[in-house]
Amino acid sequence: MTATGTGGRLRHGPGVARFAADVGPEGPVAVAGARTRWHSGGEPVREPRLVTAPVGIVEYKPDEMTIRIAVGTTVAELDAALAEHGQRSALPDRGGTVGGAVVVGENDRDVLSRGAVRNAVLQVSYVSSEGKVVSGGGPTVKNVSGFDIPRLTVGSLGTLGCLAEVILRTNPIPAVSRWFETRADPFALFDALLAPAALLWDGVTTWIHLEGHGPDVEAELVRASALGATAEVESPPQMPGPHRWSLPPAQLRGVGDLIDGRWLASIGVGTVLATAPQPGRELSASVTAVHDRMKQYFDPTGRLNPGRDPGRR
Amino acid sequence: MDLNLNGDELNTCVQCGLCLAHCPTYRVSGDESMSPRGRIHLMREVQLNNAPVTHEVLRSFETCVQCRGCEPACPSAVPYGHLMETTRETLADAGLMTPWWQRLAMRPLAHTKLLGAGSVMVALAQRGRLVPKRLGLSVDVPFTQEPLRASGTDVIMFTGCVMDAWQRDVHQAGQRVLEAAGFGVTPSGDLAPCCGALHAHAGLADDTRTYATNMMRTLSRGAIADASIIVDSAGCSAQMKDYGHLLGTEAARRFSSRVFDISEFLALHLDRLPEGSQLAGTVAIQDPCHLRHVQRVHEATRTVLGRYIPNLVELDDDGLCCGAGGAYSVMEAQLSGQIRDRKVAVISAKDPDLVASANPGCSMHLGAVGVPTIHPMELVDRALHG
Amino acid sequence: MSMLEKARRRLGDRGARAEPATDDDRLLSELRLALAPDRVRFDGAERSLHAKDASVFRGGVAGPSCFPVNTEEVQAIMRIAAAHGRGVVPRGAGTGLAGGAIPLGAPIVVALTKMNRILSVDTDSRVAWVEPGVINLDLTRHLTPMGFHFAPDPSSQQVCTIGGNLANNAGGPHCLAYGVTNAHIMAMEVVLADGDVAMLGGLDPEPAGLDLRGVFVGSEGTLGIATKIAVRITKNRPAVRTLLLSFDSVSDAANTVSGIIAAGIVPAALEVMDHRITVAVENYVGAGYPRDAAAVLLAEVDGLDDGVGIDADRIAEIGRQHGATDVRTANDDNERALLWKGRKTAFGAIAQIAPDYYLHDTVVPRSELANVLEKVYAIADNYDLKVMNVFHAGDGNLHPLLLFDSREPGVLERVHAAGKEIVEASLDAGGVLSGEHGIGVEKQAYMDRLFSDDDLDHQDRLRRAFDPGCRANPGKVIPMGHSCADIQALRRVPTGVWG
Repeated sequence: MTATGTGGRLRHGPGVARFAADVGPEGPVAVAGARTRWHSGGEPVREPRLVTAPVGIVEYKPDEMTIRIAVGTTVAELDAALAEHGQRSALPDRGGTVGGAVVVGENDRDVLSRGAVRNAVLQVSYVSSEGKVVSGGGPTVKNVSGFDIPRLTVGSLGTLGCLAEVILRTNPIPAVSRWFETRADPFALFDALLAPAALLWDGVTTWIHLEGHGPDVEAELVRASALGATAEVESPPQMPGPHRWSLPPAQLRGVGDLIDGRWLASIGVGTVLATAPQPGRELSASVTAVHDRMKQYFDPTGRLNPGRDPGRR
Repeated sequence: MDLNLNGDELNTCVQCGLCLAHCPTYRVSGDESMSPRGRIHLMREVQLNNAPVTHEVLRSFETCVQCRGCEPACPSAVPYGHLMETTRETLADAGLMTPWWQRLAMRPLAHTKLLGAGSVMVALAQRGRLVPKRLGLSVDVPFTQEPLRASGTDVIMFTGCVMDAWQRDVHQAGQRVLEAAGFGVTPSGDLAPCCGALHAHAGLADDTRTYATNMMRTLSRGAIADASIIVDSAGCSAQMKDYGHLLGTEAARRFSSRVFDISEFLALHLDRLPEGSQLAGTVAIQDPCHLRHVQRVHEATRTVLGRYIPNLVELDDDGLCCGAGGAYSVMEAQLSGQIRDRKVAVISAKDPDLVASANPGCSMHLGAVGVPTIHPMELVDRALHG
Repeated sequence: MSMLEKARRRLGDRGARAEPATDDDRLLSELRLALAPDRVRFDGAERSLHAKDASVFRGGVAGPSCFPVNTEEVQAIMRIAAAHGRGVVPRGAGTGLAGGAIPLGAPIVVALTKMNRILSVDTDSRVAWVEPGVINLDLTRHLTPMGFHFAPDPSSQQVCTIGGNLANNAGGPHCLAYGVTNAHIMAMEVVLADGDVAMLGGLDPEPAGLDLRGVFVGSEGTLGIATKIAVRITKNRPAVRTLLLSFDSVSDAANTVSGIIAAGIVPAALEVMDHRITVAVENYVGAGYPRDAAAVLLAEVDGLDDGVGIDADRIAEIGRQHGATDVRTANDDNERALLWKGRKTAFGAIAQIAPDYYLHDTVVPRSELANVLEKVYAIADNYDLKVMNVFHAGDGNLHPLLLFDSREPGVLERVHAAGKEIVEASLDAGGVLSGEHGIGVEKQAYMDRLFSDDDLDHQDRLRRAFDPGCRANPGKVIPMGHSCADIQALRRVPTGVWG
């Protein structure tokens, strides 16, 4: 099957049509996937009808480094298919479906090397509140044709449309991936290293994830070791949970004073995994006004994933 | 209104806008009407679409410093300088630009004795603190000066008008350097009183043509008939190299080919320059626009100074104009000052001991706000003669 | 009063009489009160200048031009515009190639060039706050001593503004590895069409709420005006290697590019130029580009020493496998800078060959590059037009330039017909309309070839969520027949406007 029909418009597979019929034009619906992030942005309300997104890899073009995939597919299946061609994606590999990862907009631990989810979604197809299939973006790695519907989808929690299919950009799996442990100052490490895949800090120990060509990793290790003794470890540390904080990277210096309990901060990124939840982040009145209008225009009756609020993600 | 612009020249601009960042007036104003692309657009509107020559259109043309920094930035090689000079000439002829008092003020430039008398008066006024600050006269205009004497006929040293009256020590330094390199020098003095650059910028090209014709005659006779003409003011050398285009004759083109900026000339004869001593201190090079953008021989300054100064530093602004622009600093004092503020900030970032500039206008303009300027020849002279 | 002044006074009167009165007069006096008299212009010269950008599109009509210096003034302009029901068009350096800054229906033009301060640089958070009028290359120059740069590097980077980059989601050669502008904008303060100020995005990695920042970037001024922008700054790479590969055919160069991508290498840049443009560029810069090659590939890798060496060797090898006749490595920074200067001034150098050009910006899958390029040459031949190709090959982003002399009768029709076929060939190959120049007014007519009515309707909803009155850059992006395109674009055009 080809990704495009005459003139570039997207033609959808049967799974998408079935999903559109399931969502239909009326009544509250909620999309259920693997429920890995079920609590993100609030619980479902109004007893919605549960629907499930289509599954399956529609088209994978390894030479193009793009994959078109139905979003009910699990991230594990995606990873397995990509790994066969030495590739991976920006989606976090902690389980769940592709759709869940995209609409929550959660980045991988190695976001510095894999890229952010918001930059990886090239094209989306979703079922609108009227029950129609709508697409945005395009299949190529670079595209400024029209408004950025894909980025509107990332982090929307399915409140503007029920995501059916996406085209994701992929990237090559580096030749070498090694983890190290050190007591060196994580901020000095971030300054000294050119491109770490991750720098995780729990207030005492820092775990360094280095990726790339073997000799480059060795060179980076030399830089890291200049700041303090390093020891290679088998795997990354245990991730505390279940909560996920999002802070400006500069605030991480004082993160110990901000968070009670155990935490693990991603230096240079600003994500902190913690046992305690992040206090609610208030949206300003002007941003809320745009949000409200967006919801009103895309889903006037509020039937799509009721109860979810992207502002409380 | 017909601006007398060549249709093909006017057509070469594809409006890409790459010139904007290289235009000093656009840089300080952010205004398209003060950019090369904007000015060319208005020229087209006036000449091709009969748009009225309004006050705003005139201001757009008048505010151009004519630094021609846009020309090297232009991948389409639009001859902007010629377009602007022709535009000004047409508008001045039509009585829309360059008022009578401005024309009158330029007359003495061609009369060395008149200029000398005027300079004595300026010198007196300076001592009496009667010269307005905004004129930006940073030099102390001298009462009397030691005359320049001929030492041979290998090269002609063009002495010009204002520079000879006010900065003759630069000529003397240049002459000593040329002589150290083994060239016998004939100062042009009364033979060639003025190159006409300021007139050309103001749209008074007929005056320039007269000076050009006279100079070509007086400097093409006798023992110096074929001698290279060495110029130590970049504005003058640029103008004299343009006589070929201005007059359009074979004789004028031949004359222009004899003209060299002094650093350009010395760089061609580097092997003849004595060893000299190495000068301490950091020297920043401020390229005069007419050396860098018009003649494009600014590398020569580095070649020559590099022999004697280990710590030469470059300014990080792609040779953007300093705002002097001949009479521009007086006529457009506010804009000129804003452009200079930018330049001073760029210079300060490098914190040099001295700033080498091969144009008297730039030196005076920068000197007026305390920038320690010096002509490159004065530095070479210092290295050679202590 | 001197004669000159009298003459000019008369001219001024004539200019003034040409301007329409009434509503415009009230609008002007309110704007002048809110800003300053000399920063609100309505003379014929200014309006004529602001009716254009770097595109070939003509027919724009500018209303008053405003030069605000801070957010409050932009806010005041938006409120006054709202009260008068006027559109507002933001403008940077005017280097756009799709007509995004062309005013339609005499809107207020907001020139942001006077808001050009770099406000702060924070290397801890890798962020710089800038005003929209800061020039792209000025920012990188400012960051150089700190060891950082701003990654998006459009060919016009020496003059284009960060605000313009944001509005167009600008690309550039080095976006292959680093991503286009959207990946480098972290947050921004924007003034919405109703005059409200909103902070979109954040310095944290996953800000709460919808990704309104992501949506705003690339919206071509149709969602509001950004007044402060937090850009991501990127650490300079210690090692860079630039290769110049020559080929006997454009297809060989294109196939090398897809071979490199398929091998899992992500170079910093992969640029291709065909024979004609290479010669024109070489005439201007003298960088040592081969004058006899059918195509050249400029490939750059950066990172750490060893990895750069490994990748450069593999690129050279893949090139040779695909028929590269010569592989050269730039010896020093100077040589590299010259090669890049040639690539980045390519469009301007075209005036050597023809006085006019029409440029497309389609993107195709990289594996389709050779195929689509062949079609592009055939289409141009068919219409008896010269075509040159210079493009961001690594992204599949084509820039076919159709050369012509507009003084030749009937040539424009041929250029447009050929352009349409090129766009269709790109779309048929699974491509899109624009990779980095935007839709503006230029490609609106093609939007329904890529999107269905429902798709466009949803884009229109997105736009109206920001600007229900459709007053921000009216008449752009979304084609006629969809609500926002219709409201403002057909406004009456004031009389007495020249240009």
